[in-house]
Amino acid sequence: MSENPSNPILSHERSTSMSTVHRDAIAQAGDPVQPGDDLLLEAVRAQDQGAMTTLFDRYGGMVFSVALRVLKDKAQAEDVMQDILFQLWKRPELFARGKGSLGGWLLVVARNRAIDCLRRRKPTDAPEDVVLVASGNLANETERDAIMEKVRAVLEGLPWEQQKSIELAYFEGLSHAEIAATTGDPLGTVKTRIRMALFTLRKALQA
Amino acid sequence: MNSGQHISQEDMALQAMHALPFEEAVVTATHVAECAECRAELAELLGDLAWLSLSVEQRPVPLGSRERFLHRLHAPNPEAKAPPPVPIAAAHTGSTAAIWLGWLAAAAMALLAVSLAVRVNQLKQKLHTQTENIATMAGESAQARQVFELLHAPAAQHVLLTAAKVKSEPSGRAIYLADRGALFFQGSGLKPLTKDWTYELWLIPANGGAPIPAGLFCPDATGSAEVVLPPLPKGVAAKAFGVTVEKAEGSATPTAPILLAGTAANPGE
Repeated sequence: MSENPSNPILSHERSTSMSTVHRDAIAQAGDPVQPGDDLLLEAVRAQDQGAMTTLFDRYGGMVFSVALRVLKDKAQAEDVMQDILFQLWKRPELFARGKGSLGGWLLVVARNRAIDCLRRRKPTDAPEDVVLVASGNLANETERDAIMEKVRAVLEGLPWEQQKSIELAYFEGLSHAEIAATTGDPLGTVKTRIRMALFTLRKALQA
Repeated sequence: MNSGQHISQEDMALQAMHALPFEEAVVTATHVAECAECRAELAELLGDLAWLSLSVEQRPVPLGSRERFLHRLHAPNPEAKAPPPVPIAAAHTGSTAAIWLGWLAAAAMALLAVSLAVRVNQLKQKLHTQTENIATMAGESAQARQVFELLHAPAAQHVLLTAAKVKSEPSGRAIYLADRGALFFQGSGLKPLTKDWTYELWLIPANGGAPIPAGLFCPDATGSAEVVLPPLPKGVAAKAFGVTVEKAEGSATPTAPILLAGTAANPGE
């Protein structure tokens, strides 16, 4: 997992308590600089509630937005968001180094949990099994906003059929057979559309 | 579904979204668990999906949500405390004990009569239990014979079921004899479930037919569970076996995701 390069904490001081981290996270020039996710997680492992609150402030809205997009119900979406972040507080080891960025991991876990909720089934998808390649620095708000803008632009540029297929699969939780039945397209076509849409997205964001 | 040795990129994308049908998801998960290259591709795809998640309209958390979270955060661990012992009132003793002597004798006789009645009842129950035990043992003996035959049949298929994903803590072993429709499954490292849910074992037919329910089970305190000779049709060749979590009453069709999956080797392998 990549760490926020703007992290002001020196590496040899990073084992200090989070309260120290919070103090040091304020840049000398008076410009507030946020500690990176790695550092916050380290503090969460030491049961630092301030660090967990910072993570909530950083990712709560994103996680809630994804859950709301799937569930279309504020109360249920909040439940999903609260449960995932509280689970991270209770078991921070669920997200380990090498599992991609914490923000990306939370988004995928939130989507899967929301789909489980939509299908009224037990959340059997173990969060610790979700391993993904780092997806940008979502801890940095400016960078995050830039990525969001780019993602939306790429998706809007996709052929309508690809947009629809990926929306039904990812946000509605339909299987490719269900999508084929909904759109009337052959199974193979649905598969190719979904794959092509993700490929285009990856290519655009890696450029 | 896979071209050559690896899973196709199309199927892998669907697997990342849990959008593959059960039987294909079983095969894919089994392959991914063993193939570093496909695991890396799956991780790439999950990274793509994280990006895709960012396309949604961003909403602030609901009013009061932060406070609710902080409240949970600050709440002490709910540790059940034993209620304080209830003091037992001291027996009241009086100087009029002699007056109660006659009543005590009558009470003693009554107790003796009750005690004898209870004893008779216990003996009757014991006799009934022993009769039932004999019947049970006869049934178990027949079942044990069937299990023995299944375990030692040269034509039996042996299937090792491992976690559908990278982590391999929970596992299962199935021994299946298609001709007789005989199946023995043993799971270990299984997480406990709440009372509303159950594990369900599935037989994936080799002929591409729909998954066949092969028994419900709940692990014991050590995470172990067994399914012994569930009712199955005879003569159905197995392509794979899978385990899912379903509502307590079980399901006629499997519900993703698949917790354990294993492809069936040829008999004797």
